[in-house]
Amino acid sequence: MLDRTRTTLSDGTTIDDLINVETREVQLRAISDPELYDIEMRKVFGKTWLLLGHESEIPNSGDFITRLMGSDPVLITRQKDGTVKVMLNVCPHRGMRVCVNDAGNAKVHTCIYHGWAFKNDGDFIGAPVAAEQMHGSILPKEKLGLTQARVHLYGGLIFGTWNLQGPSFDEFLGEMKWYYDMLFCRTDRGLEVLGPPQRFTIKANWKTACEQSASDGFHTLTLHRWLGEFAKFGDGDLTTSMYGTEVSSLQGHSLRCMPVANKFKQAAGFRDGNLTLAEKLAIVPPPGITKEMLPELVRNLSPEQLGLLVDSPPQVGGMFPNVLIAFIYVPQPDGEIIGLTSLHTYIPKGPDELEFCNYILAEKDAPEEHKQKALQFAVRMLGTSGMVEQDDSDTWPHITQTAKGAAARNVTMKYQAVCTTPPRPDWPGPALVYEGFTKDDTQWNWWLAYRDLMNAPA
Amino acid sequence: MTMNAVIPTDVSVAEQAPFRPNRVPVGSADYNQIAEFLYEEAWLLDEIRLKEWVARLDNDLRYTCPVRQTRSLAQQAQSIVRTVMHFDETYASIRGRVGRITDTKSAWAEDPPSRTRRLITNILVESTDDPDEFEVKSYLLCSRSRFEETTLLMLSCVRHDLLRRYDDGIKLARREIIIDQTVLGFPNLAIFL
Repeated sequence: MLDRTRTTLSDGTTIDDLINVETREVQLRAISDPELYDIEMRKVFGKTWLLLGHESEIPNSGDFITRLMGSDPVLITRQKDGTVKVMLNVCPHRGMRVCVNDAGNAKVHTCIYHGWAFKNDGDFIGAPVAAEQMHGSILPKEKLGLTQARVHLYGGLIFGTWNLQGPSFDEFLGEMKWYYDMLFCRTDRGLEVLGPPQRFTIKANWKTACEQSASDGFHTLTLHRWLGEFAKFGDGDLTTSMYGTEVSSLQGHSLRCMPVANKFKQAAGFRDGNLTLAEKLAIVPPPGITKEMLPELVRNLSPEQLGLLVDSPPQVGGMFPNVLIAFIYVPQPDGEIIGLTSLHTYIPKGPDELEFCNYILAEKDAPEEHKQKALQFAVRMLGTSGMVEQDDSDTWPHITQTAKGAAARNVTMKYQAVCTTPPRPDWPGPALVYEGFTKDDTQWNWWLAYRDLMNAPA
Repeated sequence: MTMNAVIPTDVSVAEQAPFRPNRVPVGSADYNQIAEFLYEEAWLLDEIRLKEWVARLDNDLRYTCPVRQTRSLAQQAQSIVRTVMHFDETYASIRGRVGRITDTKSAWAEDPPSRTRRLITNILVESTDDPDEFEVKSYLLCSRSRFEETTLLMLSCVRHDLLRRYDDGIKLARREIIIDQTVLGFPNLAIFL
């Protein structure tokens, strides 16, 4: 059906040659091919919904932040009426970046090149020396504003897309929304950022980080093996943490739900079914939640969602195309269990480089002391200096480089570890459900979503 | 959120903090002892003698590295972000980080290790009310090479330290690392600055 619009590279290779649906293989060439990268910028990052930040970064009217939407700089502003606008941070006069700061507050954004000025909703106000009408008379002022993206706020997270007529945000999340709601829409006042994001660069193609974020649990066993070797954390054998339930969709989203009873001795009683929610919450609450928040969870979630959140919370996963989600536990030597919340976006910066953008969040209603601890441990475990994630930062560059070899480009990445365990009959949630040991299915679904977009008409 | 009242605050261009009157002169005995401490520290870190480095940290250590943002000249104070930081450490957490490297077999981020060179310059020392505590600024240019990459990764910063002198030598009690990049050119901070 897609034959006519099928994406073809200049040497005749098609996307379907690179991604073999029958054998669940992806040619390494797909990782860092420059020609493919240009198509990705238009067909993936030009089309899907993209995470750009959180509204708590711009609480007051006039507040702004600047971010990247794929390779496009955008200006994100809080309006007087409380809404959020996302617009291309490119002056329609000569292409200069209009706002050059990372954050601030301004009613008017004036380009420093020739002084074209814009309201913080992007409307063109005028250029200096009004009498000379330096914007000309060919186009009306209404046509000279900053290009607007379509915006959706979800649990306070700011999403934007250039696809003005495309799927709604809810359609984009699809059945996975049921699970994401357990993380992002579970409390009365929701999440907030604890500061601006950490940002750093890794010389790797964005897809190396993103296909891993599609719930690659297996790599933890080897790449993050120190977690088991290090007496301070005392997990011992990490193999038990490989078991759980992975949920995913053909939109490329996924999460790993990991049973609390597998992870913590004190939660062994969760399996019996004799404990109330309040009792479970008092023993090991879901990451980021305190037992005082139980009434909020009851108000905001269905009984099925709440039960799953307490017994087997989604702890890591991704949102297509370039988001990593981490709601994880950090057990302390004194028995305390700290939960921390972090979102990463992996922003493409050319075929061989990505920007790692790390947001650290907490529930607004969590006690201040809880937020401080969560923040400190998030910094210590994740992101720039994070003891877990620093081990990821060699793997992705090596893959990006090997993918260029004349022989290696034809090597395939294999996603052939297929889940064969049937879903539990009592599994309460929708979407594609993979029970048992972490396998390749969710990551394969990520590639299928990528393939769909890359093959779609421009 | 404000977290770190104890961190020296004289890091803001906007505040136009005056140079303190209590400068310890370059070349004085105190200055030389401090410079030698910083040079030795750089040597220990470059040689990956991490346990010896930890022995020079004081028990009440605060070791932080704020995030930087591009802000207008008028808002330079806000270019230093002390909420979310790149490092937010205590003595115990630094020992944990070092233990990960020395006591496990799988700290892949630095195994094989980077080849680093910490160039320390522009050391300015101020005395304090305590004759054995000194506030010290130093510039650090850290180059880093991994695998066969020919281009050195570079990171430049100023470090605001509080150094404390004991009978058996100097220890580091505070360090705030003000990095010059808003987006770090390093793929991680698996090394210490």
